[in-house]
Amino acid sequence: MSKSNQEEFINRVKMALGKPFSNERQKADLFSHEMPAETRAILERVKNRTVEDRKRLLETLTEAAEPINLKVIPVNDVGAVATAIAELVRDKDPEWGDPKSVAAWQHPLIESLNLPDALSEQGVPVVFTDLQNTDEADLRRRVIASYIGVTSADFCMADTATLVMRTRPGQARSVSLLPSIHIAVIEIDQIIADLKELYALLKWDPLKRKEGVTNCMTFISGPSKTADIEATMIDGAHGPREVYTFVIAPDDFEDDADAPPE
Amino acid sequence: MSAQVCASLRLKKKDKMTKISPENYVAEARKAIKNQVLQRALADLQNRFGRGTAESYRRLPEGPGLRLKAHDIRMQTIENLDVVLETLAANIRKNGGRVFFAKDGQAAIHYCLEVAQRHKVKRVVKGKSMVSEEIGLNDALINSGIDVFETDLGEYIIQLAGETPSHIIAPAIHKTRDDVGNLFADKLDIPYETDPPRLTWIARKALREKFVTADMGTSGCNIACAETGHITTVSNEGNIRMSTTLPRVHIAIMGMERVAARLEDHDILLRLLCRGAAAQNMATYVSYIGGPRCANQADGPEEFHLVVLDNGRSRILADEQFREMLCCIRCAACLNVCPVYGKIGGHSYGYAYSGPVGAVVTPLLVGINRAKDLCLGETLCGACQDICPVNINLPRMLLALRGKLAEGDTVWGVTPADRKEKFLFQAWSWMIRNRKWYDLALKLAATGQKLFTRKDGMIRRLPPPSHGWTKARDIRPLAAESFVRRWKKGI
Repeated sequence: MSKSNQEEFINRVKMALGKPFSNERQKADLFSHEMPAETRAILERVKNRTVEDRKRLLETLTEAAEPINLKVIPVNDVGAVATAIAELVRDKDPEWGDPKSVAAWQHPLIESLNLPDALSEQGVPVVFTDLQNTDEADLRRRVIASYIGVTSADFCMADTATLVMRTRPGQARSVSLLPSIHIAVIEIDQIIADLKELYALLKWDPLKRKEGVTNCMTFISGPSKTADIEATMIDGAHGPREVYTFVIAPDDFEDDADAPPE
Repeated sequence: MSAQVCASLRLKKKDKMTKISPENYVAEARKAIKNQVLQRALADLQNRFGRGTAESYRRLPEGPGLRLKAHDIRMQTIENLDVVLETLAANIRKNGGRVFFAKDGQAAIHYCLEVAQRHKVKRVVKGKSMVSEEIGLNDALINSGIDVFETDLGEYIIQLAGETPSHIIAPAIHKTRDDVGNLFADKLDIPYETDPPRLTWIARKALREKFVTADMGTSGCNIACAETGHITTVSNEGNIRMSTTLPRVHIAIMGMERVAARLEDHDILLRLLCRGAAAQNMATYVSYIGGPRCANQADGPEEFHLVVLDNGRSRILADEQFREMLCCIRCAACLNVCPVYGKIGGHSYGYAYSGPVGAVVTPLLVGINRAKDLCLGETLCGACQDICPVNINLPRMLLALRGKLAEGDTVWGVTPADRKEKFLFQAWSWMIRNRKWYDLALKLAATGQKLFTRKDGMIRRLPPPSHGWTKARDIRPLAAESFVRRWKKGI
């Protein structure tokens, strides 16, 4: 059904453009398969970042985060993150009156926080969003009931204070969406400068391009907000009302410019 | 929401949602100008967003000139739209999504209903989408017994009120907090409140229940990416992420021009879109959606459909004078600076698209004669082009539309607006080329005008057929003696 629809539709477009004939050459022009020199330079820059460069990016990120109410918190190690999250869990109350529970990604960095242990003292359960031990409906119920969601991210763009997340099994999209508080944990070398670097990495970096954009890539810049009533800006429209980003930046972290940036 | 409210929504929306009424432009504009509340809201909106956007362009590392580059990117895509759309569709299908090409609104609606019926959908949550307003999707779903909830706060407010959006990105800008408080008290059965954070929280709570129980979500598309096979959705509230993550089925509808060829094109386009729309460096949420959930993923829709809509766009594409209009990314920046929109508001334009973009797009989509007042009403001041993130020459196209109205046009089926006007201009043109007749006319007018000049030396009212000129202003009389005559006399 849709095939013939498409043909008719595209033919109408071709007629409108006044070129009812073949267009292979034009296709090659539009979608180049060679890396432009500019992109190569961007990838080199990302790859060769020094410790100083990365610290500067963290500063840029912190500055950009402030006006959009994103809280960026640099820490030394995963232990400090776990402690900080336990404190948040203690201080914050669930928005919808459910008993306290936390949803978290199944992700090496997040698992290394050992949240179930860190929160066991308070008796707060942690739900990991993989389908190995439970079914989808149960998982969904438990994410909906969680008031804090803990994720990592693929990248964080410093210029706009934007977390970039690609979808994978175990890393549910709703963890950064349904809970009232979203906590993201990243390492300092995941910070990149801007959209240009992101797109260059996704399209041309041998490791990143293998996975590509995935079926859902999300950018998150701060808490959900709206200005729909009398143009008054208010945090907490439908998504999380508070967003925290913990950046793990070891004090003694060595210049390991040759390692891939993740 | 109670069943009663749903039923009343159904009734109200039936006659309001899809009404196309650009014919009422003058009457509606007159009403709007007298509405003090609306005047304040519009002034506030323009002060905040119009200025903010201009400022945000200046802060770009590349400067406001980046808009010219964006224009080139858009134009290149539009001129290769056939290839770009084919690539987009092929890539989305490769990711497991389904693509439907709809010739018109009816075909798009038919497809959406079919999907909804196949999945026995009872409840739909909608992310804000002007193209769904354009085709009247809500109406169609509601008429086939499906509950539809707009989830953007502004859209939710106007849906409860049974109205239509008055701004492309701030649809409830014509409502005060008191209006919203009354509306929520009435429709949601809660105590009257006027505090915007509280009102927002009330909507947050009410809609959360809809999000988790809906079977289908719909969205628009800001700028798709052909080479990767993704649509993008941009929002601040998170409602579009909710609508496209939680329900079993996601249908996205896009006007066929809302696509970029390459991923790197999004760098410039996204940055400019966020600045044009809300003077932001980046919207809170941007999602690239390219297909249904994959195996072992815990959430996301089981089915993803993309509807690509023509609905008159190929006709715009075919006309080189108007092709440029397809560069538009619907950010609404032009509304936030337009002196006309700033006075008459969005409802006067009588269609989903208002402001300068509406003044060009609406005549092209619904008929130039039918929507003639829209392009005649603009001032040609050029503020819209200066603020446009993709530098569309809107004044040029407004003039081109006026030209068609004056001369008539067979391709667009335009009948000349007024033969009397044409005759008058022909007479004028002849007269100013014939010195003697011109001088005579001036002399007659200089004598005749004495009948109409008041004591203060101004003319308050001219007789027909020139009475239109003094409808809204007093004019000065002609000088007793013309400059040429005084020059000859050696001043």
